[in-house]
Amino acid sequence: MSFFTIIKYDYLQRTRSYAFLITLCISVAIAYTFVPEPNANYSTIRIADYIGEYNSAWIGYVTAIMTSLFLSLIGFYLVNSGIKTDIETKVGQIVASTRVKNFSYLLAKTLSNFLVLLTILGIIFIMSVLLFFLHNEGNTFEIFQFIKPYILIPIPTLFFIAVLAVIFEVFFGKYTIIQNVGFFFLFSLLMLPNRYSEKNFSLDILGSKMVMSQMEEQVRQIADIKKAKKTSIGYVIGNVKKAKKFQFNGVVFTSSFVISRFIWGLLGLIMLFITSMFFHRFNVKEKISIKKDPVIIHSSSIIKDIRFSFAIKPSINFSIYPLIKTELLLLIRKGKKWLWLFNGLGMVLLTFLPLQISHQFVLPILWFFQVSRLSEITTKEITNKAHFFTFASYKPISRLLVSQIGAGILLVLFLALPLLIRELLNVNFFSFVSILLGAVFLVFFAALLGIATKGKKLFEVLFFMITYANINGIPFVDYFGALTHTNMYLSKLSLLVFTLAVFTFTIRKHQLKRS
Amino acid sequence: MKLEIQNVSKKYSGNKYGLKDFSITLKKGILGLLGPNGAGKSTLLKMIATVSKPTEGAIILNKNNIVKDANYMRKQIGFLPQDFGVYPNLNAYEFLKYMAALKGIGGKDITTRITQLLENLNLIDAAKKPIGSYSGGMKQRVGIAQALLNNPKVLIFDEPTVGLDPEERVRFRNLITDLANDCIVILSSHIVSDIDTIADEVAVLKNGVLLLKGQQEDVINKVRNNIFEVSIPKDNYNSFKNNYLIVSTTRKSGNLTVRYITNNPIENSVKQEANLEDAYLYLTKTM
Repeated sequence: MSFFTIIKYDYLQRTRSYAFLITLCISVAIAYTFVPEPNANYSTIRIADYIGEYNSAWIGYVTAIMTSLFLSLIGFYLVNSGIKTDIETKVGQIVASTRVKNFSYLLAKTLSNFLVLLTILGIIFIMSVLLFFLHNEGNTFEIFQFIKPYILIPIPTLFFIAVLAVIFEVFFGKYTIIQNVGFFFLFSLLMLPNRYSEKNFSLDILGSKMVMSQMEEQVRQIADIKKAKKTSIGYVIGNVKKAKKFQFNGVVFTSSFVISRFIWGLLGLIMLFITSMFFHRFNVKEKISIKKDPVIIHSSSIIKDIRFSFAIKPSINFSIYPLIKTELLLLIRKGKKWLWLFNGLGMVLLTFLPLQISHQFVLPILWFFQVSRLSEITTKEITNKAHFFTFASYKPISRLLVSQIGAGILLVLFLALPLLIRELLNVNFFSFVSILLGAVFLVFFAALLGIATKGKKLFEVLFFMITYANINGIPFVDYFGALTHTNMYLSKLSLLVFTLAVFTFTIRKHQLKRS
Repeated sequence: MKLEIQNVSKKYSGNKYGLKDFSITLKKGILGLLGPNGAGKSTLLKMIATVSKPTEGAIILNKNNIVKDANYMRKQIGFLPQDFGVYPNLNAYEFLKYMAALKGIGGKDITTRITQLLENLNLIDAAKKPIGSYSGGMKQRVGIAQALLNNPKVLIFDEPTVGLDPEERVRFRNLITDLANDCIVILSSHIVSDIDTIADEVAVLKNGVLLLKGQQEDVINKVRNNIFEVSIPKDNYNSFKNNYLIVSTTRKSGNLTVRYITNNPIENSVKQEANLEDAYLYLTKTM
């Protein structure tokens, strides 16, 4: 009974938030793009020059595959703070004093993660059915063509992601950066293409390769081409060439594939069981305090009475320099000191790797390393309960918010400094200005999402998606000018930064007025 | 120095009021704000501290409406919230310098002032350690230090003695008395003993409404001549409780000595000197 109670209330606690509502809205918006409109200049799944007729099978399978990719990508970041929340709220200490077993607790957390992801999946599923009716080309509606792929593709994947989120939290709970970046690389690894074979289909946790292989096979039969090359999955922008249509009637899942989906679930449970043997059971503070120097207060000083009559009177000083300094200090001290070695390594790579590689790959990854820092720019006062001081400070917008954003920009630019110098030496002013604007964009983006959602998650998830897209060379999300662009690029980017800045200051001002 | 709170209300969704039509005028000295949990004490203090805005009414400091011009108040206020946090990665010096910058004070003497505050609050030995390693009482003292940083003219303390040990509570009360000569101090608590020894005036709130405000003596007069003590068998306690308003109970050799409030005392009751706690309980339980 208590097991299901933990799941229930953990789920309710996570979903009853403004940030989750925004996440659902964004999920609906993204799901809408899974099946492009007939005149859209992008594609999601395309085999050579072919896409499927917009029938139940095509929409069902395409949205199921896209959901598996999309929710695997962001789902981890949405749910990887269940145990952390229990630590912060001290609920964990109560849990630790109960009879609940480590495995039961971790399984409850996993299932709660899974339910959160299923909720989003449910919304996307409904959206996919709506998309069928929206783009209907006279085909009959077959609900089973929606249900079958959703059950066999995203659901087992999401369960495994839910398990991974818990495992990462147990082993890297104190190292948020390792969690974020570690999953980033793991996901990139999962997305690597490999040969189509029964064995590889079973090893494909995302569950998309088998469907893609059968789609290609069907195209090969009608198009009389030996190999349906240029199969694309994910968003491909600028795909203006009109696609030909083929009749896609769904996929026959082999029994080995179906079994493999269950085995992934079983493997997840086994991994969770092994992890439960290493679970700290909220004995976290003690471990930390051993390392720290104990605070010593001399008992002789305690009896002293408080007298302020002689205290020096303070003088007025409205300079924001001390604020910027402290904000920068807070950003720098976030996380473990040794993790700065990665930043140092990133800066060394920016100095010595070929310019294009430095710009397109190293810079976004190095900036993504700062995700925990940037996501706290405008949220740390809430999470640390210091907002009573900061919101009641003298001119909180023109002094404090400016300092927070200024410190963030300084940090991001400092990390990009080697690249900026190289671009200057190469007289590449376009790239130089793009990186400057990109840094400002990134900080305002983090600040705005932090202010609007009063949390870190949405920024972390979107930043992850953008970085992943950056590395895959998608021009639409290239906010730091790594790819080739038209002359209008800098104007558009400046306008975007300006818009973000206006929204950031306006929403914060509105919040302070409404509080 | 005059702080006027004029017909202030704070309305939440669902037509619920955190504070309703609250008016009070304050001059230099200490106002003790008493009330049970949820009475509206913190709501009122947050509005005075400009953290939150009233739905209706005005808060006037020296003829300036701080609801419209919050920065006027922010320049001269010191606020210790009830449930505040600190940045754990900063040490006390860094945190207080940050707070000083937020308040718009600084200059070359600021470090000296911070040192004096830390010395007075017995934090100097730990001043260079990250605040994340401090005990609850030490964090509370850092909070007190930040409230005093800018030599405030209006000082607001919301449940300030939480986490302080008995000795520190006494020292804190002495500090408040010292400061009140020069500024307006508003001190909220649901612990009457924190207030009765130092407050010049007392205001009692319940369900967002001001029940009474006045000198301590005026408040105590509400129950003067109505406080009694009697010894009763333990078995009679429940029926006694149903008929009288009990202030406190003490066990004595199988019997219970009960202090209670009534106009009509039972036989063998002994009249007692009334105090602020009696008056507070009377007001909050009967009004």
